[in-house]
Amino acid sequence: MSGRPTQVLLIEDNPGDADFVRLRLGECNSDLQVTHADRLATGLAALALDPPAVVLLDLNLPDSRGAETFRNVLNQAPGVPVVILSAHYDEELAATAVHQGVQEYLVKGAFDVKQLERAVRFAIERQGLLTALDMNRKQQLLYKDQFLSHVSHELRTPLTCAHQFVTIVLDGIAGPISPEQRDHLETALGSINQVNTMIGSLLDCARTESGKMRIEPRCVVIGNVVQQAAAMMQATAKAKQISLEVSVDSRILLASADPHRILQILMNLIDNATKFTPPEGSVRVKAAPFETDPAFICISVADSGRGIRPEAKALIFERLYQDSQGIESNRKGLGLGLNIVQELVRLHGGRIWVESQLGYGSTFSFTLPALPLSRFLFPVLTDQGHLPNSLALVRVELSSRRGLSVGHLREQCLELLQSCILPSKDLVLPPMGTSGQGETFWIVASTDQAGANVLARRVRERFGRSEEAKAGATFKVSVAAVQLPSPGIDEPLESLVQEVADVISGMVLADMGKKHRPDGEEKVCKPQLISELKRKRPKNGQTKNPDC
Amino acid sequence: MDKPKILIVDDDPILRRGLNLRLRANDYETAYAIDGVSAIAAAQKERPDLIILDLGLPAGDGFSVMERLQQNANLANIPVIVLTAWDSLPSRVRCLNAGAAVFFQKPVDSGKLLGAIRTTLLYSN
Repeated sequence: MSGRPTQVLLIEDNPGDADFVRLRLGECNSDLQVTHADRLATGLAALALDPPAVVLLDLNLPDSRGAETFRNVLNQAPGVPVVILSAHYDEELAATAVHQGVQEYLVKGAFDVKQLERAVRFAIERQGLLTALDMNRKQQLLYKDQFLSHVSHELRTPLTCAHQFVTIVLDGIAGPISPEQRDHLETALGSINQVNTMIGSLLDCARTESGKMRIEPRCVVIGNVVQQAAAMMQATAKAKQISLEVSVDSRILLASADPHRILQILMNLIDNATKFTPPEGSVRVKAAPFETDPAFICISVADSGRGIRPEAKALIFERLYQDSQGIESNRKGLGLGLNIVQELVRLHGGRIWVESQLGYGSTFSFTLPALPLSRFLFPVLTDQGHLPNSLALVRVELSSRRGLSVGHLREQCLELLQSCILPSKDLVLPPMGTSGQGETFWIVASTDQAGANVLARRVRERFGRSEEAKAGATFKVSVAAVQLPSPGIDEPLESLVQEVADVISGMVLADMGKKHRPDGEEKVCKPQLISELKRKRPKNGQTKNPDC
Repeated sequence: MDKPKILIVDDDPILRRGLNLRLRANDYETAYAIDGVSAIAAAQKERPDLIILDLGLPAGDGFSVMERLQQNANLANIPVIVLTAWDSLPSRVRCLNAGAAVFFQKPVDSGKLLGAIRTTLLYSN
């Protein structure tokens, strides 16, 4: 046996019993060294200070009895095996104990020292095995994750080659092609993109299993994401002569969500909708505050397809389930979509459900936590315990000199703006929308005109020196004062912040309304005047509108 | 006027060929390197206007290449567009922090890539 003695902690209040264990156990096995505590409290303290290799536990102590005793010990030191020494045999108690992790239950007087010593040794062995098994399981999950990452990377490489060369021919780089050749190549390209999506799904699916799927929620303007998803799916819908419409509530809907994932969810749902809808049908995507609970936003995808059978409704979110009655049964895909969608919605704190009528169509709806502008602004507006004396709205318009899209620079621009502000006083608003070529960003700054000009100057300087400027940007920075409400007597801070949020929404919407929208999307969205917004606000005491 | 020169750093010869074809068709001059070590040497020799960098390279991965580019006064200002098959979320952040101008996951739509190259080049001096 190794040099260091094995520590045994005995928690026992009866002096006679304690002596028996202490003296006889040591005689039986000289490697065992017994420490003794006569109450649970001192026992737990000893456990915390210097965890032993095993705990011998009497259940009925002056400061604890029965199940409570072993539960406390198990909680205090989860990796340490516990052997119970009890005066009576209680079948039910023993079963509970073992279920919760106790290794052995011995009855005093019914065992000799040799049996006790064996129980101690075996308990330590078994605990060692359990720990190794657990580590093994964790290691396996890690390997699986690494394996899948590696596989997806390896699969994507030849896929990229195929993608590259098909597009090279399609784009005429290898010479002119006939319409028939174009048709075939586009078909090939469609398949390549499908495989690419499937690889992404595989990774996602594996991540839901190992609990590693991550989302990065931020404050997002839902209308934008919905528009983007619809734009990306237009071609698919048009190819099937299905009309794809978007209807976004006219107020600025802010949610706490990961925009990439919401896009993923929407594309999945819209793709399904087109799969199960006949030509000349319609798919309608809607985003609005959730009627049942204003703390949420509800997004729905409604199709005029053949509907879902009641038996299938319960199963469609299961992994690998596929409806065999899809319109194009050869476009099966991996069947992972709705399972991943459900998990993503869940991770966001929302719910997803489906309503369907056979022969009429189905509507998939999901909720996302709303992030009212007022709540988003609250910390900065109330930093000093009251509204700031003056508030400014800084507008930064980013565009490219030659009319090229700067959408991919959005993330970097946001980061750059973040680096210009004072976090407790200023706030960068989530991007509210694009207008084709340019992007407008907004900063709310609790400062006066002079301070706002300093901020504007800092933004200009940083942009001028940045990679972003070299990567295609002219930008205009302008400053406007925000009209602050004059507080009513005893008007609560929340209500004041709400009023400021309304004003800012109004200013942003008015600015967006002025911008030319060349995208031609079918859109039901009209900016509202501030006066209209104020009129619509409910009286005190009723549920508030989420953000306007 | 000289055509802009783009340095392609990728160990896969087929991918290099495809990128090469497309870039030349769009009036760019190209050079290439096949691993982390030769990437720096190539950058020194060729003085490209832009680098397209794969992350999974032998002899020093894409991140170490970016690091060494930043450390070299002559090379630090060359914009880098990362093009990789690695899973995007964690890689994207890491790349942007390491100084990449743009990040794309393969396969990338050629329109997007060319657009990014155009705008990146237009304003780098």
